[in-house]
Amino acid sequence: MKTIAVIFGGRSAEHDVSIITAHIPIIDSLKATGNFDIWPVYITKEGDWYADKAMNDMAFFKQPNYEAVLRKQKKIQLSFDNGLTLIWPGLRNKKVKIDVVFPSMHGTYGEDGSLMGLLRMAKVPFVGCDMAASAVAMDKAFTKQILEHEGVSVVPFVVFTKTDYEKDKKPFLEKIAKLNYPLFVKPVHLGSSIGITKVKDVAQLENAIEVALHYDDKVLVEEGVENLIEVTLPIIGNDELKLASVERPLNKSELFDFNAKYLSGGGKKSGGVNNAYSEIPASIGDELTREVQELGKKTYKILGCAGIARVDFLIDGSTKKVFVNEVNLLPGSLYAHNWKKSGVSGVELVTKLIALAEERFAAEQKLTHTFSSDILTKVGGPKVQ
Amino acid sequence: MNSTLKNFISRYHPRYIRSLVYMAQQSEYHIRDYLAWFWRTRDFLRVEQRKTLVKTPKALLLLVLSFGGLILLYAFALWVLLVGVVWWKYLVFLLVVLGAPFILAYGLVVVLFLGRLMQWPVEYLLVDYAKRKLQAHKGLKIAIAGSFGKTTMREILKTVLGATKKVSAPPGSYNTPLGISSFIRGLKGDEEILIFEMGEYYKGDIQHLCALVRPDIGIITGVNEAHLEKFKDVEQTRATIFELADYLGDKPLYINGENELARKYTHAGNIFYTRTGVGKWKVERAQTGLQGTSFTLRNGSEELSVRSHLLGLHQVGPLVVAAHIASKLGLTAEQIEKGIDASKPFEHRLEPKMDAQGVTTLDDSYNGNPDGVRAVTEFLSSLQGHRRWYVTPGLVEMGPKKEEIHKEIGRQLARAGIEKVILIRTSVTPFIFAGLQEENYSGEVIWFDKALDAFSALPNLTVKGDTVLLQNDWPDQYA
Repeated sequence: MKTIAVIFGGRSAEHDVSIITAHIPIIDSLKATGNFDIWPVYITKEGDWYADKAMNDMAFFKQPNYEAVLRKQKKIQLSFDNGLTLIWPGLRNKKVKIDVVFPSMHGTYGEDGSLMGLLRMAKVPFVGCDMAASAVAMDKAFTKQILEHEGVSVVPFVVFTKTDYEKDKKPFLEKIAKLNYPLFVKPVHLGSSIGITKVKDVAQLENAIEVALHYDDKVLVEEGVENLIEVTLPIIGNDELKLASVERPLNKSELFDFNAKYLSGGGKKSGGVNNAYSEIPASIGDELTREVQELGKKTYKILGCAGIARVDFLIDGSTKKVFVNEVNLLPGSLYAHNWKKSGVSGVELVTKLIALAEERFAAEQKLTHTFSSDILTKVGGPKVQ
Repeated sequence: MNSTLKNFISRYHPRYIRSLVYMAQQSEYHIRDYLAWFWRTRDFLRVEQRKTLVKTPKALLLLVLSFGGLILLYAFALWVLLVGVVWWKYLVFLLVVLGAPFILAYGLVVVLFLGRLMQWPVEYLLVDYAKRKLQAHKGLKIAIAGSFGKTTMREILKTVLGATKKVSAPPGSYNTPLGISSFIRGLKGDEEILIFEMGEYYKGDIQHLCALVRPDIGIITGVNEAHLEKFKDVEQTRATIFELADYLGDKPLYINGENELARKYTHAGNIFYTRTGVGKWKVERAQTGLQGTSFTLRNGSEELSVRSHLLGLHQVGPLVVAAHIASKLGLTAEQIEKGIDASKPFEHRLEPKMDAQGVTTLDDSYNGNPDGVRAVTEFLSSLQGHRRWYVTPGLVEMGPKKEEIHKEIGRQLARAGIEKVILIRTSVTPFIFAGLQEENYSGEVIWFDKALDAFSALPNLTVKGDTVLLQNDWPDQYA
């Protein structure tokens, strides 16, 4: 039986969403297979690591005092001795060797590549995208710059850092003036639509930038799309890709903000962090669907995604022009609701993702990472040529 | 620790008493059932699994009496030890202390028996009053007996006849003399039709109920191995159910012609009903699916096109009985069609529910008999274009035939081509597995230790378009 560590929580604005994703569907589906020894590894908002099987049950986190319960437990330590081992320190250390890690962290320190870097160092297979793709996709500006460079349509945008803006905002405001309103002002690193404002005229602009800068040190201002149709496409795979259905969120509020995404109409037992306000598959016609699918695959490959990702699109309803908006490397609840409607059950999804993680890890191990040289012996001697 | 020893010690745990009372309660205070369960039980700490003790006044009284009894027993043992002078006082002490759980378990039997004794005269008076009241009642009385399908038949009759007539029937499983009497006490007197389900637990039960109800029309839904644990022999079951036929004599009796055991004992004048018709009425173009069942009933030039929301062709038989009785009572074709159109699945009996993800769950948890399983497997097999899941802990009370019956269920599932079978680990599911293997089952079998584990796993196993059948419940008595 393989031992899987599901890592969730973390120092992120999406801490709580991560707890939900970890359980619905990841841990629940892993449980349903009956084939895995599941270790929930929870990182508190302060950054402390705990692992206890009681946390396999979502009910644990519904206790109002769960943080106090955890504080009474021993924090775990990690060992990177040829793989990842969880250690509960004590007179006789309790150790659990992990075969595959299933990261379930949204946002900073988790989805942004930090955790992936740690797991690479530990030499343990892990589910989802690797460090480089994660770091790029986490930055909405980098994503757009790279995609634009590769010829993928993205909406016109302006990007700047907090320091540059505070030093002299004029050149940025001038650039922004060339964009067509309405505009969207976004912190580049945050997911779940946190800190995003829709700006209808120039009077609201600076205030919106202030809000975004409150959350992030880099801000993106981009054009809104007319007659907007938003769609999203979950994808899994390493080399061969499998697409879920093109989904159209039918949110009531103009902006798909955190509350609309996670709270309104939520609480559905089977939906995880996603609510029922979406159309699966989106009725946007075969042609647009095909275009979205092709662009989705292209984007996935350009960014070097592996395992799982979700590509979000903006479609101009009148011109039918499709723009890639952003890429989400750990879609909330893996978008299991969509996969289920596309014929992939939660169990099949997590099992496949673990197999993909092992496949990528095996390929990675075949690469040569070291190089023998006599450079050290020559240090301090004659100048190295 | 050795499990035998651990099980033995469980009798000395404070929870033991609660377990005994729970067993008595779940056995509906029937001494025979309580004792059978007691003898079967090994670990008394794991008795309450599916349900928990309901703290009724009766249960609380038994708890108090049991705890009191235990304290008295220990006090007695201590007294013997302290004041006794002969050497065997130690033996008595040990015997009482060690034997206390057993003395208590059988002491409870005495209490239950005394309770029964006190209840008898009261019960007699209640039943006698109901009997007299019912005799004066002008309504038509229909009695339903059989090992399975009684409630479905009752509900169909209620719906179809109830569309135009004033119909009344005892709710739930009120099918004992006391249950039926309490229903009769509440009758207003203006009901046109009364429908009674007759429960058979022991020989003579149906005869007693007939004496109480005095039915004008009878329906025998079939005979099978349900409750075989109590009857030991299916012939006994049949004889008990056919006490209804004995009572009715020349009065109309409908018999389910699809049930072999019932069919064999039919007499001239009895009316057969099957999915192909009843009496001179013939069924044509019967079709079924997740949306319901439709068919045409033809009697010479007369034709009825009906549509029911009930699922499965096995429902056609009971529906045509209802149509037949309705027509004899003078209901028009239109009224009958309207009545059948109103019939829909009853709670926990092949009741479909579709969730937001497009998975249809068929709750058939009250179906606990081999004929019901056959019918529902046949229905599942007719659903094309769906991936089908069959979830079962097996059937209870199948007595000595349990191995054969469960192997047959396995074979049926394999032949029906059900894609996924989820088995809950019980004493009988290995037989279902063996049956599946005998027929070279090519689908997937998934095992779960508990039904609840399976239920929580299912949303993660299914995809849009799947149909999941939840068959039978597994009460604690049979753990």
